[in-house]
Formats: sequence, structure tokens, C-alpha cells
Amino acid sequence: MLVKLKSSALNGLDGYIVEVEVDSYKGLPGQSIVGLPDAAVRESRDRVKFAIINSGFEFPPGYFTINLAPGDVRKEGPLYDLPIAIGILSSSSQIKSELSKDHIFLGELALNGDVRPVAGVLPICFSAKQAGIKQVVVSRDNADEAALVSGLEIIPVTNLKEAAEYLSGIINISPHRIDIHALFESNQEYELDFSDVKGQQHAKRALEIAAAGSHNILMVGPPGSGKTMLAKRIPSILPPLSLDEALEVTKLYSVTGLLSGKAALITRRPFRSPHHTTSNIGIIGGGRIPRPGEVSLAHLGILFLDEFPEFERKVLEVLRQPLEDGKVTVSRALASITYPAEFMLVAAMNPCPCGNYMDPVKTCVCPPYKLQRYWGKLSRPLIDRIDLHVEVPRLKKEELAAHPTGEPSKEIRNRVSAARKIQEERFKGTNIHSNSRMTPKQVREFCKLDEEAEAILKAAILHLKMSGRSYDRILKVSRTIADLDGSESIKAKHIAEATQYRSLDTKGGEYNV
Amino acid sequence: MGKTSKDIGDLGEDRACEYFIQKGFKIIERNYRSQQGEIDIVARDGEFLVFVEVKNYSFRSYGSPLGAIGKNKRKSIIHAAQTYLYKNNIKDTNCRFDVVTIYHKHNGNCAIDYIKDAFYVG
Repeated sequence: MLVKLKSSALNGLDGYIVEVEVDSYKGLPGQSIVGLPDAAVRESRDRVKFAIINSGFEFPPGYFTINLAPGDVRKEGPLYDLPIAIGILSSSSQIKSELSKDHIFLGELALNGDVRPVAGVLPICFSAKQAGIKQVVVSRDNADEAALVSGLEIIPVTNLKEAAEYLSGIINISPHRIDIHALFESNQEYELDFSDVKGQQHAKRALEIAAAGSHNILMVGPPGSGKTMLAKRIPSILPPLSLDEALEVTKLYSVTGLLSGKAALITRRPFRSPHHTTSNIGIIGGGRIPRPGEVSLAHLGILFLDEFPEFERKVLEVLRQPLEDGKVTVSRALASITYPAEFMLVAAMNPCPCGNYMDPVKTCVCPPYKLQRYWGKLSRPLIDRIDLHVEVPRLKKEELAAHPTGEPSKEIRNRVSAARKIQEERFKGTNIHSNSRMTPKQVREFCKLDEEAEAILKAAILHLKMSGRSYDRILKVSRTIADLDGSESIKAKHIAEATQYRSLDTKGGEYNV
Repeated sequence: MGKTSKDIGDLGEDRACEYFIQKGFKIIERNYRSQQGEIDIVARDGEFLVFVEVKNYSFRSYGSPLGAIGKNKRKSIIHAAQTYLYKNNIKDTNCRFDVVTIYHKHNGNCAIDYIKDAFYVG
């Protein structure tokens, strides 16, 4: 008997409906799966067979053909196990009632018949709702995630037997519901706080500016000065995610399969710190069917690259497109997919390979060619895209011995949020949200200087031999500083402060390499 | 004079047939040959047409006898089954591949192991 039911597949962050058709004829026993299955889909027949037998059903005789339509798109992943098993049971009349056309089934089967969670349930549910699906049958472990989509009935099942009995009308499973607002608000506190960091007032100020305008920042300092500690605390001074943003981030994590076992909704800004041996594909995303990389996983959060010049040159250069566009398009033979990548880049590095260059206490042992090679890794176009360069010096003995007495993150976050609000107002009706993303035209429109400020900027450009691009950067950063100050126009002090964050603009900057 | 392996084989198949008749199967054909394969016993078990492979053993030390029915052996059995169905114009009948392993003890007795639905096509 021919049975048709629905499942879903993902193309990037968009799901589409996959029809699973099961039919059989009497003859030599066997089965085949058609519709461009990948290895994981093809293997499903062994899992399905044992899941059916171990759930107390009979694996029906005959030759089964399972078709996954549309037939011209490659299907991947184990999520078709459940619909295939349901299809076989229904085709052999072991599930009595007719299957509804408004269901989709998602789930991997264990050999004992348990339904396992799969990746990408959240984006699939979003798309399924748009396609007019009413009910989604998923593993119990995926239920929270699926229930984030309102207007869908989520039927959580533990095993195949439960699913079959539900469909036959033997048992009733009430739809799974979660309180999305309670979930959203419950988990917004950060464990790390800025007040834990000793000293480094200058760097903290720079990070506050970076957070306020979503500027990229590079910290240079000797080992142990607190760069990593500072970076890890940046999410705590960023304004909290809105619910829509939280869902956007959660979708990306769902597709990557990083959600299972954790809370269903990601409520905090992501902080990603890939190791410096990560490949460019790991950073940007890729694969036969492209998956999100680190830049996308850091979407709306922080991408922290520690030991910045230790990354492969290729990796650093591929960062340029997402830094510019806030998204990244990965093309492969099978698909070309665009993932969002609006992250704030926070980079940290030592002043030289040994770490002690220009240090007042210790002596650097690096030969000059090593220094040159180290700094040479950072290309001009890349440095140009980093708005703030800040030095994080070694702590003095007194500072080290003292108790940390910095401002708590909450206070900084309030100032940052106020500055962000001003920017929201300013960019209403445009597609940008922060000062760092202003186009040159917008820079001219919004960054009006008073006379004194103009004079300082001119002097700075003359003396520091800055490029045209740096000029724009200074204006953007000073706009943010003025916003933090609550000032309508950009004043001399704002420009002056912004200028000091361009220390690397002359080659090698004050490190003079 | 010792037994040849053909003798052992024939003896095993006889024993298997007795076993199946006892179970209520109807033996239809023995030693069916196609160009590329051979089926030891074709039998009918209710609605099922059963293709049986008989495997004889005198030693127990080489692991599961089912393991001895490798990919190529299965292929040749499947091929022969297809030919059989085609030549006899059998349609719309559920089929099954079973395996019987027969362990020949030194005292002349046999131990029979029966594996129902042992493998399937592709």
C-alpha cells in the first residue's frame, strides 16, 4: 500500500518540506531508498528495521521502495528515520488510521526504538509553519526547541511505539508548550563581571566604546596582562539580546547541532573564541552543503581571536568580507548559502613573539626579523577594519596586590545601552543599527564637528600621517564617544580620545616595526 | 573409506529437508541452478516462498556459520532466486531467504541451527 507522509530538510537556515513515500510489492525481501540520499540516510534502513522489530512490531515482508521527494535535492542526516519507520508501519497496516497531511515527522531512531534528537529543528519548524503544517512529531529532547515556534502543535515522543500508538489513536499525547518569555528572561545573567579585572582602566574604557558602537577592537599587551580576561567579559556589558535576536542566534546553533542538551533558547550573546589553528573553513563556514562557521556562531555577539597573528594568513584575510557586510556567503557545488555574521571582532596579541617587546621590566629576546614577520601577518586592509587599537600594559606590583575595585558590568552596560538607544534613533529607517556600520555618506551626515574639533583632527592627520580610511574610522569612533557622553555634536575631546585609539596606523604603530 | 564433501553436503540437505517437512514446509525443489548461482532448497511456508541455503560443518571453532555466507554467496543466491521467480513466472508472492546450518558430529549425529529471514536484497 502506498503511504505518503511529510518530513523536512534544511537549505541553510530555510527548511522545506520533504515528502516521504513508502510502497512495497510482494517479492524478494529488501528495501531501497531513492531521492539522492547521503550515507546517513541510506543507513537508516538498518536502524529502521531494528527499531521496528524491537518496538514489538513486525518488519513486513516484501520489497520496499522509499522515495524522498523532491528527487533532485540531496538529502542528508538521520532525521528521516522516524518518518520512514512510520511509513513502513502504516504501509503494512500496523498503524491503522490514515495519516494526516498536516503532520511532519523528524527524528533519528535508536536500535531499541527510541527517538533521538536531530539538528536544525527550530528553523525547520519556522519554515513548516509558513508551509501550513499544523503538527510536528519530534523527539522529546527536541520538544522545547520546537515549541519556540508559536502556532504549531508539537507532539513529543520518546520512542517509535509511542509515536505509532499516538497515530493509531490508542494513546493521547498533549502538545508540548513552553513559556517562551519566562525562558527568555530566566537566563540573562552573566557569571563573569568587569569588576573582577584589576586595573586596566584605559582598556576598559576602550572596550566600553567598542561595545557602545559595536566597533572592532585589537588589544596589544604582554602575556598575563588581562587581555583574555577582559575579552571574556565583553558580553556582560553589551545590551541584552531582544527576543527576535535570541531566536535568530538559536536558529544558527540549532542548524549546527550545538543546541542539544542545553537550554532550548540562547538568551545570552554568544562568545566564540576559536583556537588559532582553526582553518579558514572553520571560521567562515563550509562543507559539501555549507554549515555555519565561527563568524556566524558569533552572530550578534563576540568573535574573540586570541593570539591574532598566530592565525593563518588565509584565515585573517577571509574575515574581511563578513567584517564589511555582516553576513557571509559560502558557495559550494551543491548549494550557495548566506549566513548572518554580524559579530564584534575582538582580537588580542602580544607585542612580539616572546611577549616582552617594549616592556619596562622584562627584556625582549626576539630578533628583528621575527618581529617583522609577526607584525607582517596583519595586513593593512585588515588593520584598517579594526576601529580601535588599545594597549593593555603589564600590571604594576601595587595593582596586582590590590583587590579588584573596578566598576561592575551592570553600570557599564547601562551607559552602553543608552548610547545604543541614541544610535537606534539616529539610524531609524536605514538598515544599520550601530555607528560602526555607517557608510561614508552617513559619516558626513551624522558626524558633524565643531571648529575646535575640526582643528584637532586636521593636526592629527598631518602629524600622524593617517590614511583616508583612518579618517573615517576616527569620525565613527568619536561619534560613539560623543553618544556615550550624551553629546549631540562631536567635540574636541571626543576627537582627541578617538585619535589615540589609532595607534597602529603608522606601520607597526608605536611598536615601530 | 571416508566421506567426500559431496556426501556430507547431500546428507546435510536430506537432514534439512526432513527438518522442514517436520516444521510443515512443503519442499518444492532441491539444488536449483541458474547460470550464476545455486539454491539448495526451495520450499513453501504458508504464503512465503522460502529459499534455503544449507551450510554444513564438522568443526565449531570458526565462529558463526552465518559468517560463512559472505557477500558473494548471498549475491549468487539472490541471483538464482530472481531467475527462479522469472522462469516459473511467480509474481505477487512474498519471499524469504533462510539459512540452515548443520553441524556433523563425529559420532554421526547432527545438530541443526535454523536462521529465518537471514538476509535481504540490497
